[in-house]
Amino acid sequence: MRLKWLRLLVPVGALLALVFVLSSCGGDDGGGDGAATTGVPEEFAPVTAAPDGATEGGELTVLAAGDIDYMDPGAAYYTFSYMVMQATHRTLLSWDPDDVEEPTPDLAEGEPQISEDGLTIEFTIRDGVRFSPPVDREVTAADVEYAIERSTLPGVANQYVATYASAIVGYDAAANQAADDPTGGAPDIEGVSAPDDRTLRIELAAPPKVAIARVIAQMLSLPVSAPVPEEYAKEFDAKNPSTYGQYVAFTGPYMVENDSETGELTGYTPGKEIKLVRNPNSDGDATGDFRPAYLESIEIQEGFTDTASAARKILSGDGQVNGDFPPTPAVQKEASQEAEAEQFQLPNFPGYRHIALDTQAPPFDDINVRKAVIANSDREALRNTRGGPLLGPVATHYISPGFPGFEESGGLEGFGLDYLANPNGDPELAADYMRKAGFESGKCEGAECEITMVGDNIAPGKDTAEVFKGQLEDLGFKVTFRPVDHAIMYTRFCSVPEQQPEVCPNVGWVPDFRDPQAMLDVPFYGPTIDPENNSNWPQLDVPEVNKAIEEARLVEDEAERAEAWAEVDRLVSEQAPAVPWIWEHYPLVQSTDVAGVVNLYNASWDLAYTSLK
Amino acid sequence: MLRYIIRRILWSVVLLVICSAVVFAIFYIFPTADPAKLRAGRAASAEQIELIRESLGLDDPKHEQFLRYLGGVFTPYKNEEKGVDGPFDLGTSFFQNNTPVSEIIFDRLPATVFLVSGAVVIWLAIAIPVGIISAVRQRSLLDRATMITTLAFISAPVFWLGLVALYLFAQDVGQFPIFPGIGSYNDAETFTGKVGSLILPWLVLAAATAAIYARYLRSQLIDVMSEDYIRTARAKGLSERRVIWRHGVRSAITPIVTLLGLDVAVLLAGNAILTESVFNIPGVGKETVTAIGQSDLPLIQGIVLFGAFFIVIFNLIVDILYAYLDPRVRYQ
Repeated sequence: MRLKWLRLLVPVGALLALVFVLSSCGGDDGGGDGAATTGVPEEFAPVTAAPDGATEGGELTVLAAGDIDYMDPGAAYYTFSYMVMQATHRTLLSWDPDDVEEPTPDLAEGEPQISEDGLTIEFTIRDGVRFSPPVDREVTAADVEYAIERSTLPGVANQYVATYASAIVGYDAAANQAADDPTGGAPDIEGVSAPDDRTLRIELAAPPKVAIARVIAQMLSLPVSAPVPEEYAKEFDAKNPSTYGQYVAFTGPYMVENDSETGELTGYTPGKEIKLVRNPNSDGDATGDFRPAYLESIEIQEGFTDTASAARKILSGDGQVNGDFPPTPAVQKEASQEAEAEQFQLPNFPGYRHIALDTQAPPFDDINVRKAVIANSDREALRNTRGGPLLGPVATHYISPGFPGFEESGGLEGFGLDYLANPNGDPELAADYMRKAGFESGKCEGAECEITMVGDNIAPGKDTAEVFKGQLEDLGFKVTFRPVDHAIMYTRFCSVPEQQPEVCPNVGWVPDFRDPQAMLDVPFYGPTIDPENNSNWPQLDVPEVNKAIEEARLVEDEAERAEAWAEVDRLVSEQAPAVPWIWEHYPLVQSTDVAGVVNLYNASWDLAYTSLK
Repeated sequence: MLRYIIRRILWSVVLLVICSAVVFAIFYIFPTADPAKLRAGRAASAEQIELIRESLGLDDPKHEQFLRYLGGVFTPYKNEEKGVDGPFDLGTSFFQNNTPVSEIIFDRLPATVFLVSGAVVIWLAIAIPVGIISAVRQRSLLDRATMITTLAFISAPVFWLGLVALYLFAQDVGQFPIFPGIGSYNDAETFTGKVGSLILPWLVLAAATAAIYARYLRSQLIDVMSEDYIRTARAKGLSERRVIWRHGVRSAITPIVTLLGLDVAVLLAGNAILTESVFNIPGVGKETVTAIGQSDLPLIQGIVLFGAFFIVIFNLIVDILYAYLDPRVRYQ
């Protein structure tokens, strides 16, 4: 599962995670994000196709607050990184701007072939795709095999492959070997092979599960499946950490400017700028690359931590778009009222923000207390701390708009649970639930009502926490709020069950790819509670929920799968483990002379489709 | 004098080692976050975190880690498996493409040096004449006007002044678009372009410091001008200008040199954070903000050590300069 550090909206932050926007396009112009089902106002629906006769050439400037996490496709994990990866690499499968159902075969000639027994996945690699200078040779299946194998190296530090790949034959053994000898080169994974130059074969351990094979195939739409030339990269991978990120070989329509002799990336200065130029070895259509790549070059300028000024600079400037930061609420309001059409767009943002209540310890081990807290929550007030209604609908359950299982979960209305019915809170209902929990006054009383909350130390997270603290206090709780750095909030408190406070107000979840399992499995499956790096923040461990998750994982038919995960969503929501409070949109802005195209997969500008007017 | 300088240099080295020990203790013995978890990322499993911890040697005894750290920073010690490549190895950033910390700092240093040196010239060019004039024309209208103005600049926070300057005068978002705006330092490719892009940041960074120096110099000079030796100088028939410059200012400016040394060191060490952030100048201060925001421990640690180095060195320089500037100071 892909967890997002929900810090992108923090001024310093540059950490958006992978998102999936799933609603179908409504109009002929490529715009439309299914406003009726996603809550995106029609006038701000994202444009997902380039205009007819889009202009070729010119330079686009992307303004960013922070940097990508890694240039190495084996390690990259931020949404902002994916924005760069999508323009510079060809992965086995990739996401066209309006792909909302399935990824499109990219480096692979066609869809992955999954054997009937679910034990083998095969990809056929396209002919003629070449690495950028200085590698200058054709890509083979062995390059993808190496890319997957090197992801086991501690020096590459891939964050997600291990989550999915333990079903691959020999994966765990390879990972252990890499740990024992981190500079000894990428270990061979028995179940990943390239029997010939065009075939990549992945073998899974029994018992066979077609659904698991499909999940692994989807994982290969992530940058880890971008080919890496072993003979060139092994020198860099022999270091810990790997230095391949400073010498990456590219296969996409663009590449980071480099020294064509050594391969060193001269166009990338971490924290300052990324200069993308055309990849001279990219043959576009001839090698099945569906990306038009109109722009001649793209310059990503980083360090714009005053995001209000940066957004205004974009709106009033030329040839600019935002990268990793959303405009501040004030600028969003200005842009939504004053900017020209399409200058302000709101792609939907799968995932949710929630306030986790520790279900394993008093007072929140009592389901009625949790229901009371949710019933009392003014979720609109919480939403206002991040920008108000423009930022997205108030969440009523967990599977987010447009995702498989969302409609089956009751859409925006949800399951009709009384404690989630009123977005402004229902103090009387909350008092009723408190009385059911044994608090006759309808307010929490006694020592167990003295609780601790650990949240962000800067806005907007801190504001959210402060507002929620007030709501808890209205219900009688005595709250000690400990504001800390966002990373410390996770690594020292909310993700460490032994240190976990009763309330974690600034957590959120974004799935890796478009499958409802990715939305619910890790955050609410009891056995995933991890003593070191836990993402099941409420520590929900309910046999009924666990069983439903285990069954839903194995459902193959798409419609039935959506139903099965909607049932999981219902069971989780009925357990009231957290306050789900927003399904976010992600605001994008562009200058008037930019014909920006939004990639719905990660709710960011698609650099390979965007052009200048 | 030579012995004094050598002794001070040796002490400076000892100080730096002590600073390294303190920095190491803060970040690796009492860290606010687990370095292995930060390096592994949020989605990493417990096993992956352990692998990272092991591969970086974070599970080794602390004294071994410290010696390896010292070896990496101060000696040519190399250990490929643990990723140490001394000398000047301050580790690699968790979040910036595995880039060596020293490389990041040295990449950012020119912008900070340029920003600070220009600002220093401006604040001295303003503070010295204003301080002197205010002191010699004490209680005049000019004195009162300059002291009120300096008080206003001291009271104005740098980030506020920076934002106001941008919204008034920046070419991209300003009401009176005169000077290059946010991020223009990165855009400028020539020396003159960079100078142009730094005019607003120089003025903003210099404003408060110039005001402080002017007031400080004024008060020092007023004290000095009432000393007996000044009366003696006047009695000898020296011109007032000569009395002020040769006997008054030379003596009054000595504490200013101390201040200047520390201020420059602190700014070079990354304390131009606000100015660099508001104007998006990719300097050490801006990098400090990024590193803190991401809990990038190796980078924070590197910048802290680097800052300590500057402060130690500038202290040394100031102490040596004292001997030349103030004849009352003698070193044995």
